[in-house]
Amino acid sequence: MKRVETDVVIIGGGVTGAGTFRDCLIRGIPAVLVEKNDLASGTTGRNHGLLHSGARYAVKDSASAVECIGENRILKKIARHCIEDTGGLFVALDDDDPAYGDRLIVSCRSAGIACREIAHQEALRIEPNLNPRIVRAFTVPDATIDPFRLVSANVLDARERGGQVYTHTRVNQIMTGPEGVTGVQCQNRLTGETFEIRARVVVNASGVWGEKVCRAAGIEMKMFPSKGSLIIFDYRVNRVVVNACRMPADADIFVPGDTVSLIGTTSRKIAYEDIDIAEVDEEEIAVLLEGAERLVPNVSRTRLLRAYCGVRPLISLKKGEVDGRSISRGIVLVDHEMRDGLKGLISIAGGKLMTYRLMAEKTTDLICRKLDRTDTCTTSQLPLPGSETKGKLTTRRNQFKGISASVIGSTQYRHGERVHQILKSDRKHDGLICECEMVTAGEVEYALQHLNVEDIVDLRRRTRLGMGPCQGALCACRATSFFVELKKMSGEKANQMLVDFIEERWKGIKPILWGDALREAEFSYWIHQGLISKKKKLEKPDEV
Amino acid sequence: MINLDNISFDHCIKCTVCTVYCPVARVTHLYPGPKFSGPDTERLRIKNPDLLDDSLKYCSNCKRCEIVCPSNVNIADIIRLASANNPKRKLSLRDLILSSTDLIGQIATRTAVIVNWTMTLSPLRRFMQLILGLSHERAFPKYASSSFSKWAVRQTRAQEIYPEKVIYFHGCYVNYNNPDLGKSVVQVLNRLNIGVVTTAEKCCGIPLISNNRLEEAKKHARHNIDVLKKAVGDSDMKILLTSSSCCLALDHEYKNLLEMDTTGIQGQIELITKFLYETFEQGETPSLKPLRLTVAYHAPCHLEHMGGVVYTVELLKKIPGLNLKLLHSECCGISGTYGFKEENYAISQAIGQNLFDQINDLKPDLVVTDCETCKWQIEFNTVYQVVHPITLLAEAMGCQNILKTGGK
Amino acid sequence: MRFDSIIIGGGIAGMTCAIRCAEKGLSCAVISSGMSALHFASGSIDLLGRFPSDSVVTNPFDQMPDFINHNPEHPYARCGEKAIADSLQYFTDQLQQQSLQLCNNGRQNHFHLTTYGTLTPTYLSQKSVYSPELEKAFFENQKMALISFEGFRDFHVPLISANLPGQTLFQNRQVTTGTVDLSPLIRSQKNPHEFRSIDISRMLETDEDLQKIADHINELAGDAGIIGLPACLGFIHHASVYEKLQRLVGRPVYEIPTLPPSILGMRLDHALKTRFSNLGGVFIAGDKVVRGEMQSGKLSGVYTENHGKTLLKAGSVVLASGSFFSGGLISDSAGIREPVFNLDLTYEKDRKQWARGLFFQPESHQFLEFGVKTNEQLNPFDSSGHLIDNLYCAGAILAGYNPIREGSGGGVAISTGYTAAEMIIGRTASTGAARP
Repeated sequence: MKRVETDVVIIGGGVTGAGTFRDCLIRGIPAVLVEKNDLASGTTGRNHGLLHSGARYAVKDSASAVECIGENRILKKIARHCIEDTGGLFVALDDDDPAYGDRLIVSCRSAGIACREIAHQEALRIEPNLNPRIVRAFTVPDATIDPFRLVSANVLDARERGGQVYTHTRVNQIMTGPEGVTGVQCQNRLTGETFEIRARVVVNASGVWGEKVCRAAGIEMKMFPSKGSLIIFDYRVNRVVVNACRMPADADIFVPGDTVSLIGTTSRKIAYEDIDIAEVDEEEIAVLLEGAERLVPNVSRTRLLRAYCGVRPLISLKKGEVDGRSISRGIVLVDHEMRDGLKGLISIAGGKLMTYRLMAEKTTDLICRKLDRTDTCTTSQLPLPGSETKGKLTTRRNQFKGISASVIGSTQYRHGERVHQILKSDRKHDGLICECEMVTAGEVEYALQHLNVEDIVDLRRRTRLGMGPCQGALCACRATSFFVELKKMSGEKANQMLVDFIEERWKGIKPILWGDALREAEFSYWIHQGLISKKKKLEKPDEV
Repeated sequence: MINLDNISFDHCIKCTVCTVYCPVARVTHLYPGPKFSGPDTERLRIKNPDLLDDSLKYCSNCKRCEIVCPSNVNIADIIRLASANNPKRKLSLRDLILSSTDLIGQIATRTAVIVNWTMTLSPLRRFMQLILGLSHERAFPKYASSSFSKWAVRQTRAQEIYPEKVIYFHGCYVNYNNPDLGKSVVQVLNRLNIGVVTTAEKCCGIPLISNNRLEEAKKHARHNIDVLKKAVGDSDMKILLTSSSCCLALDHEYKNLLEMDTTGIQGQIELITKFLYETFEQGETPSLKPLRLTVAYHAPCHLEHMGGVVYTVELLKKIPGLNLKLLHSECCGISGTYGFKEENYAISQAIGQNLFDQINDLKPDLVVTDCETCKWQIEFNTVYQVVHPITLLAEAMGCQNILKTGGK
Repeated sequence: MRFDSIIIGGGIAGMTCAIRCAEKGLSCAVISSGMSALHFASGSIDLLGRFPSDSVVTNPFDQMPDFINHNPEHPYARCGEKAIADSLQYFTDQLQQQSLQLCNNGRQNHFHLTTYGTLTPTYLSQKSVYSPELEKAFFENQKMALISFEGFRDFHVPLISANLPGQTLFQNRQVTTGTVDLSPLIRSQKNPHEFRSIDISRMLETDEDLQKIADHINELAGDAGIIGLPACLGFIHHASVYEKLQRLVGRPVYEIPTLPPSILGMRLDHALKTRFSNLGGVFIAGDKVVRGEMQSGKLSGVYTENHGKTLLKAGSVVLASGSFFSGGLISDSAGIREPVFNLDLTYEKDRKQWARGLFFQPESHQFLEFGVKTNEQLNPFDSSGHLIDNLYCAGAILAGYNPIREGSGGGVAISTGYTAAEMIIGRTASTGAARP
């Protein structure tokens, strides 16, 4: 059996795992990242992409709020190309509790979050589509962050420093010896090959799958998954983040994100066995649309693109916990040597997308202690690849002769400074593969060669291919051709991959299948009907 | 930020049909096509106006994309507005001149003989290409020595005797280049016992819209709406137009693109061909002498968009003896001021080639079309004379013998 | 303005009906709000391709009586076997007048390749997709070539050749593949971002380019006896391009559908519209019918967006406005409606029953079967349940059939369009034809 040697194995390619992976390599610690599906395919890729100012937590959870605003500032420096510093608003409508606004200001002040009340006419000027029934409005330093870019950039940096990544690889067993953990045994789900990774420290950064991973080490760590659903609108309905100014509830954040806007979220308890098959309910769709309509009237006339859900990895620290009463919402760093007597296993869980760097820092600090190293964390100063320059992104048309400004700008949004490696002024590379999101052949090639892309679903996460209005109708076939050409994928595998991609897109379209989404699906169905298998039973796309 | 009430780009389901039938995209790669320039990039421009690409300028505003779109996306309007709202756009002297048709018209009619002669001089036209960017290859239209509006004003008293009246919005072409057409209109209507009223109109604004001068276009629109409203008053007088593009402006662009309030005139605006056809249908067909001519009809893009082609065709069919051939409906290429620009000249010529070939194969006696710039384009590129349907009708009705004198 | 028949929708159903009406001397207008679904269709006409069990129908005409018996609400049941057969023959004849030849395999289905290299049964195909000559060449030659164009990603040879061995017809065949580089021929001032089937088609319609391209194809095809190419072999001048190309490569050439725009479908569209125009029909493009006008229980005409207050009067009206794509049916979160006349529809009220779990589910999706309910004469009912007897429905707007699962899209469109025309012709003959 193949054997890989390293110091640290990180299980989980979400933002926490990716951040830890990068921190290790920056400190010179050899590390390997293992992910059973694709980078950012779990909860990281299924949230609303909000770079909190922390104001949402200020009233009820001051410690979280302080953590948030600190990381907010750091990320705006180091992850520049992953962030759009939109600013945010808290808006109270005439039927909201007017007193909440006062509590908001006070708690923000004590947490160090810049929160300022503005006239409601000013709010309408900033965000003209807002509900004119606003009575109070406050600005906060909210921003939006693209989780796919964030994870991709962290992993890219780590890889460029010598780290190894295995995606579509599931850990089957955490190997132990007399001294504690010795590594993991895993299986590549695409090739079937099993192999071992020998390491001194194993980090469980697998989010909501943590319970399963710990079980694989014979440890109990109960999780209390909570499903959160969101709806994506076809285009940017709002310029800034809009929060409902009231106690946190369902559907009270309207977040702009790259070319779309999202309304979220909900909070529905689900059974642990169901974490891989969670779906968006009718009831959630109704709640979300109602919440959206409340903040932006007439938005339900806007084209809906898709609805999706993620599972929050809420964890209980207490052993034997059954009803989730001591669920922690903060960062949970578990040294299993202390908790369970298993040396070398660490779990990092809880927290939020935007505190990932801090979580990674704490985890890597603990790793260093385990490895008797004294390296300190520098991730708060080192920019991610692509985020190196200061100041606003401009379109630099002159540098890319003959390429449309829309294409240059879109590529630059996604990859920051790396755009120079991607856009070349020649016919072969300029061809548009995804026309909705302006993804060129050059960008697809770059992703396939450098960004750990094994299938079109992975490609979609790295480039936004298929995330626009057509949801893959025009670009699926085009994308497939690259895998055959560059990855020498067999035609059969390519066909199955194409089917899987379209099925993955379909999952998000089904809950909102009406209006233009239905028209688009009908169009796509006619075009792709040649893919309908002759076999009686269709193979279901790979379950996560 | 966009107004949620007035969006159509999100209905685009990416069928690509608009780009297939776009005449500009067909002949040049400089223009990425209406799908890209319209709904695709509108989504991006909402996020960041910097994502606007310069290639928008190649859109000729023929609106064929909107005719073929199955999803009700106002593609041409989206592109027009994006182009006009482009913070980086600059208004060149040339575009200023080309879109100030009233000003140029007034000057040119006063100096028609000189202007008409000098504009035939190749060195001068080359100089204009060098300095302004006006294509030297394209022939310039001739100007009349007196405007139609001057003549029309002198007819006011004579028109008062008619019990039924209509308002005639003549447009710049009739006013400054071909007053004879306007006179035919008056003759035809008078023959039907209908009087003609004109107003102190300004240029309809289409050249202003095409050259991204929307604020100026709105001023013209406001003025025209006011004078027309006053002229209509409490009656239900129709406002008739001979120019298909002027009609598009008044009937469609004022309300939809420029978002003007057109109450008081919206229901009154009508193509003269529609008006005459319906008048004839109600039993008032005058006696028409046969015109034994083979006539090729070209449907202008803007007329196709408005649904007016069927009226012109049915009206022409009423002329006895007329051998009417319908040319395949496609863009002639000039698209108003578009084809006069140096950078667009080759594109405009390439677009129209199919049409010119069709006409040359057919060898008609005359070509007929409702749009003046189409007329200029076809006359420039073929040996055939092009007349307005009203000119033919006037001839058939025995009004002043227009055809012999030409009326270019 | 008055017509004997006004047809709402310029797709296959609407145009078949319109051509029939115009040919019989009726004054006829088609009002179309945009290009039809032909622009992404395969360009072949499916009559009846699959049984409910998913196995292939070999002889659709033999199966038809049984099919109609088992599906009394199906559009085919409204037409009857004779009308179905007549309409397909009629369709073929009319297109022949426009030099577009459609071929069939007698009364049997034949197969055509899809964009992904699977085979699908169909009844009529264009000469370059299926013909007795192509069939003969296909069976006589074990060696075939699949050639595409570099950078053209709406058609991908490796995907196709991967699926071919799975089809019995293609087993044991030697397939040579290759791509032609068109870039030396692109005399462009700028690198185009887009490269679609229509762009290649335009290049092939240029004589000098065609010669050079044919030379490349020849080289790549080696000694293959038959060459497969993406369906871009000319649009308006397809017939001459196809003939020239075959001559230049010296062997049979067949076309395989691509992703949109479908040149195959566009050829049908163009031929149908030209035929209609040549027969004196009036085609009103880019206009939407907004409502109908009733007078003494009958439809007296329609109002459109462009014609404003002017009623377009008609003796009969045909609603051939298509499915969701074309705007014939409109859906929102509350339900589905027919926007012009607010007709009574057959559909599932529970939105969860509109589609199935998997996109490529073999049973296909329920929403494809939704549409207008009609009586046996293709007359629909208004929202209060009253029959509108001078309104007929044809094509994808009809309820009760799944064009993809059954393989019946084109067949239903043509036969219902034709049947509606026959009924209108009969009714107009008794009341007298009118000019507009």
